[in-house]
Amino acid sequence: MAEPDFEAQLSRMFCETPSFPDAALFNAEVASKLDRGWAMRRLFIGLAGTAAGLFAAFQILSSRFSSEISQLSRNSGHNLQTEIDAGVAKFNGMLTGGPASGEALWLAAGLAVLALAFAVTRAVEDL
Amino acid sequence: MGMDRPPTGHDVELAALAAAGDRRAYGELVRRHGSAVRGLLRRLGADSATADDLAQDAFITGFEQVAEFRGEGAFGAWIKKIAARLYLKKVKREARLIFSDTVESVEEITVRDASGDTAAASRIDLDEALKTLSRGERLCVSLCYGADWSHAEAAEALNIPIGTVKSHVKRGLDKLRAKLARPEEGTRREARG
Repeated sequence: MAEPDFEAQLSRMFCETPSFPDAALFNAEVASKLDRGWAMRRLFIGLAGTAAGLFAAFQILSSRFSSEISQLSRNSGHNLQTEIDAGVAKFNGMLTGGPASGEALWLAAGLAVLALAFAVTRAVEDL
Repeated sequence: MGMDRPPTGHDVELAALAAAGDRRAYGELVRRHGSAVRGLLRRLGADSATADDLAQDAFITGFEQVAEFRGEGAFGAWIKKIAARLYLKKVKREARLIFSDTVESVEEITVRDASGDTAAASRIDLDEALKTLSRGERLCVSLCYGADWSHAEAAEALNIPIGTVKSHVKRGLDKLRAKLARPEEGTRREARG
């Protein structure tokens, strides 16, 4: 048989798809793996969003706290311990009694919990 | 959802739907091309369990990369390339890929077959014929004819010179021709008699 003829015949033979009795099972396993991967990805995105939200909230609060500290340190005439005590007291005040900062904290925490709950719910639904 | 009709359409359309996150469309592509990928991996030399695992991995990888499939070629060829790459990666990792020039000669294979029963030899098909090739020949022939790789692509993936790929393909084709031509010759002889 001439070379090109044989190569064409070989290509045709390779193109013939074998039939597998467990083809349906194979398809189902691939679908199951895809679903699992999709659910894990959603869960990961949800967790990453939650972590990022918490980190952002912490950064906002800590930057306010450090600005308070630096402002206090600029004031001469008071000793350092008094300044720090005042700063800490202000920080505590921000956490509990401050109008904007307290709201921001609770808002961020609430959003984080909502995001986590959403991610977990979707992941469980998919599984 | 299970009662819904499966998506229909051309592979390219299904791939576009899959790229948008439609897993059912991708499931239809798996149904269409699953057996071909499983068959190719077996022909490359993987055992049944490994071939099926790798075929699954290939389809998972394919889903993650399906946005890159633009329909320039056939989806079947595209997913086969992914599967073949995964298989090569596996054999390289296991250090089982040895390209030796000291391959079995056609004569050695003929002697081995001559000891077998002639009726079985007449039923030989491509899969059986591929088993008589050396690992390198089998890989190169299956990659170039089964997965539509060029010699250059195979050489790059196997990290061997292109000349080595060509010689493996040539030797492999010679052996396959000898094996696959035999039943026809037998039939002709019977017809003449």
